[in-house]
Amino acid sequence: MSALGGAPAGGAAMDPISMVIGLVLAVVFIGITFVLAPLAVIPLIGIIVGGVLIGFGVHFVPVGGAPAAMGQAPGIATGVAMLAAGAGLAGLFGGAWAAEFGVVVATITGAIGGGLLMAITCLMVNVIYVFGMGIPAASGKVEKDPITGDTQAEYKSQGTEGHGLPFISFVGGVLGGLFGGGGGTLIYIELLTVYEQYLPSIFNATVEQIMPVAISLAGMFAIGMFLVNAVLAAYNITGTIEGPHDPKFKRFPRAIVASLVASALCGLVAILIVVVNLNLTI
Amino acid sequence: MVENIVFGIGITALAGALAAVAGAAEDTESDIGSQGDPNSQVQLAPQMGFIHRIFNKAIAGEPPAYGLWCTLGAGLAWVFLIQDINPILALVLGATIATFVQGVYATSGYLGRTASLAKFGQPVYIDIIKSMLSVTMAHAFVAVFTTISICYLMNAALGHPFPLPLLGLVWGIALGAAGSATGNPFYGKERQYQNQQFGAGVPISASGNIVRYAEAGQRNSLDNGWFSSKLGGPASGICFGLIVFLELWRTILFEEFAGGWGAIIAGLVLILIFIMIGRWVEVYARKNYGPYTAPEEASS
Repeated sequence: MSALGGAPAGGAAMDPISMVIGLVLAVVFIGITFVLAPLAVIPLIGIIVGGVLIGFGVHFVPVGGAPAAMGQAPGIATGVAMLAAGAGLAGLFGGAWAAEFGVVVATITGAIGGGLLMAITCLMVNVIYVFGMGIPAASGKVEKDPITGDTQAEYKSQGTEGHGLPFISFVGGVLGGLFGGGGGTLIYIELLTVYEQYLPSIFNATVEQIMPVAISLAGMFAIGMFLVNAVLAAYNITGTIEGPHDPKFKRFPRAIVASLVASALCGLVAILIVVVNLNLTI
Repeated sequence: MVENIVFGIGITALAGALAAVAGAAEDTESDIGSQGDPNSQVQLAPQMGFIHRIFNKAIAGEPPAYGLWCTLGAGLAWVFLIQDINPILALVLGATIATFVQGVYATSGYLGRTASLAKFGQPVYIDIIKSMLSVTMAHAFVAVFTTISICYLMNAALGHPFPLPLLGLVWGIALGAAGSATGNPFYGKERQYQNQQFGAGVPISASGNIVRYAEAGQRNSLDNGWFSSKLGGPASGICFGLIVFLELWRTILFEEFAGGWGAIIAGLVLILIFIMIGRWVEVYARKNYGPYTAPEEASS
């Protein structure tokens, strides 16, 4: 049996009723947007896709939390949402800079920014473990690394669940950064598109004049939505996760539905802010 | 064109250097103040019967904490800049006020968290507050000032579209993420559990039994800051410095190539290089340190 074929940890099951209710809510939010601001429906879909990418990507990030800080568990010694936010926001920084090149280039630039932060961070984590503490990387969840085939158990020190970042966790961290950075940037770009459309009418100004406000609003909402999706995924993970080989990874479908609903609602609110004001001024 | 690139590279180098200082100061501050995941052991120790004189201020995880302080510093600096105050003075004033907020959080964090351990006999040491607060605040000032200076350079010199407070939030959170990821194991395992075997993780059964005595007298958080500033701090500085430098470097030099794809390819190449170095480090450890037990024993 492959390492990825292990039995899933508890909590991976999907509750059909909750899922259906969630999906219905998402459709309702999209419907409200269609009625109030038909031009914002496509951006809202983009926002939802961005949120889902973030929620999915967080599951790849190897997060060890407090046990990792004592070398008691593999992963990076910080919180799930925090690490994902760090990577995703660094990606958003790069993506926002590349917004002039269009949504595809900007989103991929953002993804690369998040992936780069995670690659550097994962490397420095292993450098500290290996050269600062003399501890090799070892997974506690699989017998062999699914990518390199390295055996893990004998490199696990006594009384611990493993330590450091085995190669699969390293790669998982980079993938998580890619998804997070891309998702955050996509949300930002889509919101910026909406604000560029609606804000000039509200302020009775040109697009150039409202750009500082539009960029600030889109940036703040993108960061906020990033945190919402990262925290939702963190609740789904409950504590620590080693990466894509961890049995907890199989819980991601639930997080995708949750991110979809949450992003639809947050996106609706972010769009209504300009749409409702527009209606009041008419 | 060439002048612009040279100017951009100069700013990138300066931002990278500032980021290295920020990372080192952030990690040392979080170790002296005992913030982040290793502080779980500082909180746990009295509950296991180990009374100590370590500072205890896990106000929040390092990323949101630094997100707050850097946003505050950058936001205030932004206000001062609008008032036509000299940029350096504005940044210093912003960082100073943010540092005082950090000091308030640190004081209430220490008092609140330590008081909650009263039932386990853990005293609140006033002399610990007096001697450690100023040091943690000083390191926080360095971390916040350098980070918001980077943000100012990105905004004013390199023309990033985000306003200064938003950049403060983005890079404050990234600073906390880099500093806690890199520096926490060195403070948590290597310093707090210096009494455990070198080259191995801390057995779960030893949780809470942190080192409480120094060469002379009881250990305090200044001793921990001295220790972690030797490796954990500089490593965090290298981590954050590389993140800031390479993110700017790939954008400044390559973004104009192939309609933005140049920066993407450069970033992808950098990621692959870091993954390869990471694999080399992993193999190096496996070859040179060897397994703890024979493979057949481990599977039994």
